[in-house]
Amino acid sequence: MLKHSLFFRFFVIRFSLLRFGLPIFSALIFTFASTSVQACTKEDPTCVQVQVNNVKNQPLANMVVYLEPLANQVVPQQNKTVEISQHSKSFIPYISVSQKSDKVNFVNKDDITHHIYSADSENKFSFKIRSGETDSSTHFDHAAEIAMGCNIHDWMSGYLLVVDTPYFAKTDEQGVASFTLTELGKYRVVVWHPQMRAENNRMIVEKELLSAEITTFTLQKAMDDIPVQTSDDFDFISDY
Amino acid sequence: MINTGIKSLHLLLLVACLPMQVVIAAEYNAHGILDFRVNHINSSGQGYLTGGQGKLGLGDGVHFSAAQIGADLSVSWDNGLSAHGVFNAYPEATGDGEKSALGLTEIYLKYRSIPNSAGYRLQTKVGLFYPEISLENNAYAWASKDTLDSSTLNTWIGEEIRVVGTEIKVTRLGRINNDKYDLSFSATAFINNDPAGALLAWHGWAISNRQTLWNEQRTFPWFPAREDGKNLAGQAHKSDPFLELDNRVGYHTRGEWKLRGKGSISAGYYDNRAIPYKVVDGQYGWRTRFYHLEARWRLSDNLSLTAQYLSGDTLMQSKEKEDVVNNDYASGFVALHYNWQALVANKKHKSTLRVEDFSVTDNDKTEGDDNNEDGQALTFNHSYRLSKQWFLSAEFTVIDSHRPARSYSVQPVDLVETQWQFATRYFL
Repeated sequence: MLKHSLFFRFFVIRFSLLRFGLPIFSALIFTFASTSVQACTKEDPTCVQVQVNNVKNQPLANMVVYLEPLANQVVPQQNKTVEISQHSKSFIPYISVSQKSDKVNFVNKDDITHHIYSADSENKFSFKIRSGETDSSTHFDHAAEIAMGCNIHDWMSGYLLVVDTPYFAKTDEQGVASFTLTELGKYRVVVWHPQMRAENNRMIVEKELLSAEITTFTLQKAMDDIPVQTSDDFDFISDY
Repeated sequence: MINTGIKSLHLLLLVACLPMQVVIAAEYNAHGILDFRVNHINSSGQGYLTGGQGKLGLGDGVHFSAAQIGADLSVSWDNGLSAHGVFNAYPEATGDGEKSALGLTEIYLKYRSIPNSAGYRLQTKVGLFYPEISLENNAYAWASKDTLDSSTLNTWIGEEIRVVGTEIKVTRLGRINNDKYDLSFSATAFINNDPAGALLAWHGWAISNRQTLWNEQRTFPWFPAREDGKNLAGQAHKSDPFLELDNRVGYHTRGEWKLRGKGSISAGYYDNRAIPYKVVDGQYGWRTRFYHLEARWRLSDNLSLTAQYLSGDTLMQSKEKEDVVNNDYASGFVALHYNWQALVANKKHKSTLRVEDFSVTDNDKTEGDDNNEDGQALTFNHSYRLSKQWFLSAEFTVIDSHRPARSYSVQPVDLVETQWQFATRYFL
């Protein structure tokens, strides 16, 4: 719990200045889609695409799609750093995806302290992060679905999905996620979203992925409401 | 020789432990409020703060004041523990203002756990603090967020209700349970609030931003039953609301349902369990009990509602256990808040309209001490955020009250008072 701060920090004497967050542009949340693999075109023979539609058959953006190789295919090695920022008292992006062992940086872009935590028994962590600081003390070394909150601002809500594959992306406005595979073959294709009303918030298909294949998922039920990470509150609340 | 060795070992251990304590990161926060005002009041005489029969803090006329200088200081550690101290100063206003006062209003230790995997979080508070009742006074140093003066209900909370105790609060977070709502329940055991109810009986409901400081005594109007030989001759000239007179523990409980992004509904019950015939140095125990209900709701992006209602009773008896003051009381308000962002394209303008109704019903037969009261009040506030920390506010209040006790000082029983206030508030 005190991992990073116990030994590496000294007293931080700080007069917390202002609580004046910039307005949240919901668009910002969507533009942050962390695509691990570059988008590809249909002309590319190793490009496969996944289309996600809602219950009314309209494209759904911002759904997480990942492909897990099932036939020992060669996958590219990569070491990425995922950034989860706390901005305007919200998690941005709302959903982050990382490959296990990727470095995850929490960056507090607000001018107040946050107390980030996960209450999940298998992936428990918590740390305070002060204004302007970056914290990378938490390591995520196995596949997991981690719901994060802030113990100071209860309305804050964010997710980190840790996957065991380099092939992950979020769908774009057309509901499409594209992957350039190193090797085609049999894959488990998974669509995930914390507000998807399905078993384990997922839809799964195991199939042979062929060149320029498009796999389409259509949700069986309407999505649940995505939590609004705002409080209309005044900036000078005496609470925590 | 061995002894010295042990001693130096102790010293060594101590020195080794010292840096350990120092590196537990502590965060110091200093917040506060400065509130400068001009008031124009139309009333029959003095305000209630100086023992007058007015319902407003200040009396008839124009006043300039630093209405509140508050400091909200805290230290918090990474393990969830924090220490808080809140200080307030009320410098004397021009005109008939009360003498300047400076002191402590709250001081407590708080611990908030990280929610467990079932989504339950525990919070405890130990010290001197406000029981969680007011929906208005959540700015730094218990300042009112959307209006300059609090409602009658919360002005009373600020004046007479404060506890020295332990609060335990359990919250079930919906986020972790896939529910759209959070539930919380708290229970507080407390002491040091035995005379609460006296000021409400003797000056009735009032409107101001004044909080009683720790160890501060507050004045109230003269009434015939205080004369020598009468029932209340033994009552001290000022009331000291935060005393422990009978060593009996009181309690407060509260439950809240909070719908994510929408609002909350809460209810609670307070009972100071004071022995009503106990008197120490002219300060009586007042058995004061009330329930309270609150609602906060976002009606649209720009419009929100806050409402509170409180109702209860209070009893004070002679040493012979005869009722001297036996009152029922109630106060409630509904406030609407509008953010003018749709019209002025920013969030800098906010208006609040608050309507309230209040009453005290006197059930005892004590002569020369009529506590009956009935009234309504309306407040309109418009605030403009000049910069990050500076706010400009204009506030109008009108109070229409019926109070027979005003006849004791030859003032009209039925009175309409108005107040215009212009303020600049700075939040640090």
